Amino acid sequence: MHGEYKTPGGKLVIADFDVQNGCLAGVEVSGDFFLEPPKALEGIIGALEDAPRTSRRRSSRTASAPPSAPRSRWWASPPKRSPAP
Amino acid sequence: MSAAMPEARWRDYPWRLIRGEPLAPPMNLALDEVLTRRVGVDERPPTLRFWDWAAPAVVLGRFQPVENEVDEETADGYGVEVVRRMTGGGAMFGEPENIITYSIYAPPKLVAGMSSVDSYAFFDVWAVEALRSLGVGAWYEPINDITSSDGKIGGAAQARRTGAVLHHVMMSYEMDVPKMLRVLRIGQEKLTDKAIQSAEKRVGPLRRQTQLPREEIIRRMISTFEHNAGTSLVEDRIVPEELAEAEELVRTKYGTREWTYLVP
Repeated sequence: MHGEYKTPGGKLVIADFDVQNGCLAGVEVSGDFFLEPPKALEGIIGALEDAPRTSRRRSSRTASAPPSAPRSRWWASPPKRSPAP
Repeated sequence: MSAAMPEARWRDYPWRLIRGEPLAPPMNLALDEVLTRRVGVDERPPTLRFWDWAAPAVVLGRFQPVENEVDEETADGYGVEVVRRMTGGGAMFGEPENIITYSIYAPPKLVAGMSSVDSYAFFDVWAVEALRSLGVGAWYEPINDITSSDGKIGGAAQARRTGAVLHHVMMSYEMDVPKMLRVLRIGQEKLTDKAIQSAEKRVGPLRRQTQLPREEIIRRMISTFEHNAGTSLVEDRIVPEELAEAEELVRTKYGTREWTYLVP
């Protein structure tokens, strides 16, 4: 699956992943955002990997990313089918 | 007194200026990492470097996959090298004579207490001032753009690492818009006359806006920086150890497929 989210007036965050047994797999997050330190992205991807596809925002809070990390409101399902809150 | 005015902080440092020879794109990116670290460990005073390119390049942001941003076949055909920088942000296309690129390597104290968005504005103030003094209706556009009433001029990117802050900026002096649209994948636009015209309107290269030689714009930027810092910039050069370190980083990182084709 492929999802893109542009923060209002800001940066684009792209997520690509498969769903296996109801969980996210092979998660890739990319875009023109800024993130310090860059390694924080591993924490974000780690939190998404294996997350149930039905989960909403819980995992984004547990990601070991600084508060400035892009919030990914759309990642659990394609944006069209389940609009982000 | 100066503590209340962040802009006075520029005056706290003995700034150096580096104007080097044109370098290969990966070398320029490696030098940014090396000089940031050197300032971070007090092996070099805070420095402003204007850099020149030996070849055209697409410079990707740290988190952008090549295939999303670049039409590689076309880039190859034009001899445009694809490289990845250490900072986030978006892809930029630049040709040696068409671009003005500079980096500031500074101690974190220069922007202490500022949010990262505020620090972009802070780092861009003098550059915007320099452009305005040349008659360009320029302003800083959050988060990281320098734009104008005549279109976007350039973008900045920052990294806070190894004890220092890197703020580097690419500004377009001239822009071959059809070439840029062929090399970069910008949206899914077809390369129609209309698409080209609309892109032409969105960019405001400095030559079109000033009719001045590129070198004159750089000189004005340097004098505005000096005015801002309340001091003359001390002319400096990249020392052999810095160059050797950067060459090693090209070999192990910036010149490698692993780094360029990194999937974030």
